[in-house]
Amino acid sequence: MGLNYQLVLWNKNKKVYDRFILLFVLLYLLLFWGITLITNSNTSLETLTIRSSGTLAILLLHIILSIGPLARINKKFLPLLYNRRHLGVSMFLIALIHGGFSIFQFHMLGDVNPIYSVFTSNLDYSSLHDFPFQVLGFLALLILFAMAATSHDFWLANLSAKTWKTLHMLVYVAYALIVSHVFLGAFQQETSPYMPVLMGIGFVVLVILHISAGIKEVKKDKQTYEASDEDWKYVCEIDEIEEDRAKIFIVDHERIAIFKYENKLSAIHNVCKHQGGPLGEGKIIDGCITCPWHGYQYLPQNGQSPPPFTEKVATYYVKIEDKKVYVLPKPLDEGTEVSPAIIES
Amino acid sequence: MVITIISFFLKVLAVYFGMGVLFGIYFLFIGATKIDPLMKNSKWIVRLLLFPGVVATWICLLPKLYKK
Ligand code: HEM
Ligand code: FES
Repeated sequence: MGLNYQLVLWNKNKKVYDRFILLFVLLYLLLFWGITLITNSNTSLETLTIRSSGTLAILLLHIILSIGPLARINKKFLPLLYNRRHLGVSMFLIALIHGGFSIFQFHMLGDVNPIYSVFTSNLDYSSLHDFPFQVLGFLALLILFAMAATSHDFWLANLSAKTWKTLHMLVYVAYALIVSHVFLGAFQQETSPYMPVLMGIGFVVLVILHISAGIKEVKKDKQTYEASDEDWKYVCEIDEIEEDRAKIFIVDHERIAIFKYENKLSAIHNVCKHQGGPLGEGKIIDGCITCPWHGYQYLPQNGQSPPPFTEKVATYYVKIEDKKVYVLPKPLDEGTEVSPAIIES
Repeated sequence: MVITIISFFLKVLAVYFGMGVLFGIYFLFIGATKIDPLMKNSKWIVRLLLFPGVVATWICLLPKLYKK
């Protein structure tokens, strides 16, 4: 949406989040350097840089991977979801410092190409104990690079949605590579024994979060609503929907968002045309349903994006009887005008 | 054997990124507006920001160029 591309989409909230990220990064580095220098004062600057940036990158990656499931478990985390992009790019830059310094320190001095050296200075590929763990870090860094480089809105519009999604799902491959990088690396370097333990805890937390979010989603899909006459399905009481907000229902496998605004109710398909964002978690802004993910907008009564945009989503019939809301779970053609149900007070 | 695989992989990688940089330069000066008309009204610095992404995904942008 929008008639041109901005360098960075900043608004007040995003600036606050970005400052918070910066502060967090600086604080972490300060603490890491301080504590390491106090406990082991002859650690070299290079080693300090490599270790502090490596551990910070993996910490940020855990935070990034937690945000998705957290936002699905509790709506309070949604604002973090909208600001995940800058966190991802920061994480890549920090990982790049770690990888860059490691290559500089361990592979620059020979007469072979440093990248070639990462892959060939240790050829124990069949050993677990001496596995060339830096290769795994390098491959992960490639993936993180591709993701960070394609995080701008331009890429959402110009790589097909499927390509973009696939590319960004590779973050889980990168995560697996990095976990192996750290575990196998721990056998070989005199790194702190806490590192693998912390990584293990982080891994378990991520798995639990993803599973609980998954269970919650499945439960939602299985909820049934008491049937009323004909095919109309009862979904909720009017008062359960907040003004300018929606509630999402899964009725007969249809994901439907029912919005309340200006004493009216309208129902549309819950899935945004852009990247599949949950429209029902968005708000009505300037009379338009506004997707919480990247701000695509749709008119509630017909599911059409206001001109000059052309996106359309399916609409549904809604009605109100005795303060009870009913929906007909048959999607109408995308962009079909439906007169809203009027709320009589 | 391992060395052969590694050399081959790194060569492919180098060629891919090399072509990416060439395509990226084309993107900076000509390709951007052909791929996405919205780029006409966007500041030039946006193209620079997109450059690394072009280097990484140029192969996915090629079909877009031919369609036009
Ligand atoms: C070109 C890519 C990479 C190279 C060459 C590389 C190299 C290294 C080296 C040499 C170490 C051991 C450092 C030491 O103990 O002194 C290490 C550890 C580590 N790396 Fe990487 N790495 C790369 C990519 C990554 C990436 C992408 C991440 C995470 C986002 C990462 C996270 C870590 C972590 C958490 C450690 C453990 C640090 C510690 O125990 O103190 N690395 N890496
Ligand atoms: S998913 Fe991007 S705006 Fe809705």
